[in-house]
Amino acid sequence: MDIFTIAIWVLTVGLLIFSFIKNKRKTKDALKRAFFMGRGMALSIFAVIFAIGIILAVLPPDKISEIIGKQNLFVATIAAAVFGTITLIPAFIAFPLIGTLAGAGVGIMPSVAFLTTLTMVGVATFPLEKKEFGTKFAVTRNVLSFLFAIVIAIIMGVILK
Amino acid sequence: MNKLINFIKGNLFMVIVVLAYIILTIVNPQLGLQGIKNSKYYIIEMLMIMPVIFVLTALLDTWIPKETIMKFLGKDAKIKGVILSFLFGSVSAGPIYAAFPFCVMLHKKGASIKNIIIILSSWAVIKIPMLLNEAKFLGPKFMMIRWILTIIAILIFSWIGSKIIKDEDLPQENEEEKAEIYINEKACMGCTVCTKKYPELFIMDGKKASLKKYVIYDSERLRDTVMSCPVKAIQLNNI
Repeated sequence: MDIFTIAIWVLTVGLLIFSFIKNKRKTKDALKRAFFMGRGMALSIFAVIFAIGIILAVLPPDKISEIIGKQNLFVATIAAAVFGTITLIPAFIAFPLIGTLAGAGVGIMPSVAFLTTLTMVGVATFPLEKKEFGTKFAVTRNVLSFLFAIVIAIIMGVILK
Repeated sequence: MNKLINFIKGNLFMVIVVLAYIILTIVNPQLGLQGIKNSKYYIIEMLMIMPVIFVLTALLDTWIPKETIMKFLGKDAKIKGVILSFLFGSVSAGPIYAAFPFCVMLHKKGASIKNIIIILSSWAVIKIPMLLNEAKFLGPKFMMIRWILTIIAILIFSWIGSKIIKDEDLPQENEEEKAEIYINEKACMGCTVCTKKYPELFIMDGKKASLKKYVIYDSERLRDTVMSCPVKAIQLNNI
């Protein structure tokens, strides 16, 4: 657990105790509501997780960098953004991978595109986002994030050349 | 049979994932196994953060009044709302889907679409632990430039998003709540007993009773009110 996760746990437990002292009934209702919220999302979250697992099995990170590395800069940037969109890799794997990507001559642009779409745009999380926020919200946010990830990648490629 | 079809319709994505595993395992058992092994990390990640996110969201939902959220994160919060949204997203933990229930709650309480997009996006890409890692592996200069560009990008596309998406485009009611209390409008004869017994929850909408949205209810009082309805027009599930 990183420090922020721990902080959120501490904060929540503190709030829970405070809430319980202030009003038992309201706290009970809140816990009940949290339970319903979790129950409502549980199946979808497991679907997301197992989807990520299978995507990573078919497309492991080293295979991705192999594919990206073979392309020219333009295709590589788009491909990196697309790979970032369909995968969801934890930061501790993603950063070393991108470090090697950038070091192996793939260039800054594809690396940044990959890094940004990796966390912000998600095919695997899309069904859940759609369920929670509606189709229009999910489509708009993901499309905009994808486009801006490429813009960021291009600007960084130019600045850091 | 109908139940099964409804279940598949409601969980289409999950059904597809399960099918994908079955097919992959038949074609290449090694890969199917690898997929499940890969999922382990994400399950642990999820278990570390989701329970606490649900409880925190429910507690904030209970104790923070709508007016406060509106004032700080609503449409008129302007720059204050933007800065707060970036802060929320940056100090968060967990994957992007952990932000979903939190943001749904904020939106219901009056946070604007723009600020919701800022929280979701910064939750995904500019978390502080992530930035530290990025500086370590890719250099502080790389990290700083990407951080600044990302903030500018989020500012622009959250504004664009707020022009495209209207508040009504988001699902309006909490599905669980909707499923728990249901008023049969055909049966309701507008006697106003429920609104007198439990004015915090029931309200007259024209000649029919209707539910007020997003209130926390006391299940005993609710049951009492349900019993007192002369035509039994209020129905309860799973309470």
